[in-house]
Amino acid sequence: MKADGRFARFTVTFAAVFAIVYYFAVANNWALFSYGPAIGQWTLFTQAAAAGPTMYWYGWIATSALAAAGVATFVALLPEHLTQWLWPGFAWLVPAGSIVAFAHLLRGYFAR
Amino acid sequence: MWIALVITHGLVAFLLLGAITHQVVSVWAPVRAGASNFVARFRAVGSANYVNAVIVLYLVTALLGAIIYTKYRISARLTLEQGGYWKSFGAFELKEHFIALGVALLPAYWYFWRSSLAVDDTRTRKLLTTLLAFVVWWAFLAGHIANNIRGIGT
Repeated sequence: MKADGRFARFTVTFAAVFAIVYYFAVANNWALFSYGPAIGQWTLFTQAAAAGPTMYWYGWIATSALAAAGVATFVALLPEHLTQWLWPGFAWLVPAGSIVAFAHLLRGYFAR
Repeated sequence: MWIALVITHGLVAFLLLGAITHQVVSVWAPVRAGASNFVARFRAVGSANYVNAVIVLYLVTALLGAIIYTKYRISARLTLEQGGYWKSFGAFELKEHFIALGVALLPAYWYFWRSSLAVDDTRTRKLLTTLLAFVVWWAFLAGHIANNIRGIGT
């Protein structure tokens, strides 16, 4: 079984690549932009806010969405015969693996 | 305004929880005919009818959550940290990541439910729906617990 059609290939690749990139974006703080909620300050990349806490969550999502959209568009545009390997199950299996990886990454909170 | 947003967020999340739970139960334990009691009728819903509702409710809930998150970050989160509620804190941290992963699942979820309902895709549909249901349940419970510890306005 394979992901038939360009949109199918796009959706499967997008879900899988997003899940992988998002994990590494969080683990390494690859945020496209940052936000300081106390003063309403937006900054590019991971610059700390001038006052109060800095939020990177929106930036991690943006980084991952951009990367996933790029790769998924590329895969969707490839000729059909080059994408025979793309199993639809990657759409749930890779995000499920990412969920497990996050549970491992943040396990410290549950061991205190 | 924040209290109204939190309440709206909770209500929309509750609708989403109902829709995705109906759908996940109906894909794993469908009842084709003769739904004679409450549980059977719960299982007998048309799974495909929930797709658009789940997607819209998920996006609205996530958007409201993303707005409220700024307030959580400068108030409620400090209470969780200072009070040493580390398991609740960790559950909420996981929630934010699971929600992001769930958003990225939605195009595939939509495609595999709306394209053809082909038999070949049955397992993909079931597991995408199950994973989304897990994300929604986790987010609902973690958010509910965090709100019980330190709701906005308390």
